[in-house]
Amino acid sequence: MKVKIKEWNAIATWHWDMPEDEVCGICRVQFDGTCPTCKFPGDDCSLLLGKCGHSFHMHCLLQWIQQETSKGLCPMCRQKFEWKQSDEQ
Amino acid sequence: MLKIWSMKQQQQQAENAEGGAGKKKKKVTAAQLRVQRDLQELTLGNTMKMTFPNPDDILNFTLSIEPDEGMYKGGVFNFSFAVNQNFPHDPPKVKCTQKIYHPNIDLEGNVCLNILREDWKPVLNLNAVIVGMQFLFLEPNASDPLNKQAAEDLRANREAFKRNVRTSMSGGTVHNITFERVLK
Repeated sequence: MKVKIKEWNAIATWHWDMPEDEVCGICRVQFDGTCPTCKFPGDDCSLLLGKCGHSFHMHCLLQWIQQETSKGLCPMCRQKFEWKQSDEQ
Repeated sequence: MLKIWSMKQQQQQAENAEGGAGKKKKKVTAAQLRVQRDLQELTLGNTMKMTFPNPDDILNFTLSIEPDEGMYKGGVFNFSFAVNQNFPHDPPKVKCTQKIYHPNIDLEGNVCLNILREDWKPVLNLNAVIVGMQFLFLEPNASDPLNKQAAEDLRANREAFKRNVRTSMSGGTVHNITFERVLK
């Protein structure tokens, strides 16, 4: 029997390489969702991974870090927040 | 080739067009979203009640604490909460609306709780604040006082302090200051 494929539709999904259901500790929205100021998830609203092992929406974390009261500390563990460069992931 | 990018652009254009037309729609702010989530996760127990004077405004509410043990047992203590638009990056502003005798609450109602000030961080939620507030009534803390006289009393003589608390709660006078009656 010969099967002829006339048409096919590719469908792709994506999610961040994070455990599912995990939320950003700052806005409490899932990592695969957006921070409160963005409308579209994905590259427009990426995540930031800290060396301390805590991750947040980049926009959420930057808003915190830019605030003087944050003293540059991770909102989760109060260690100095330094982000992992993408090549050390 | 998949046209995800152009689709995204179209989507964005549509959004922008909508934004121009439908500006009357009230925008839900980040602070409101986060407060909504916090309220859903709240566990008040039977010693605390929350009321919203304006049901349309979830950023301003009152909390009443009725400690069921400790030296403040039998009292009803009311606090106003004001959450600003920078929440959760800024802590909520909490004030006691009564004049009470407590080492960590001054006569104007300002509350001294570390997580409301220097130790606030955006991963804390309203539940953490509320638990902290309740703890102040179970375990008043003399080492970081706002009402220095009350703290001194607590340090010097715990039993005398307890008596002062009872007097103040029934609307009596302690060290020439008359307090509000807060008993149920």
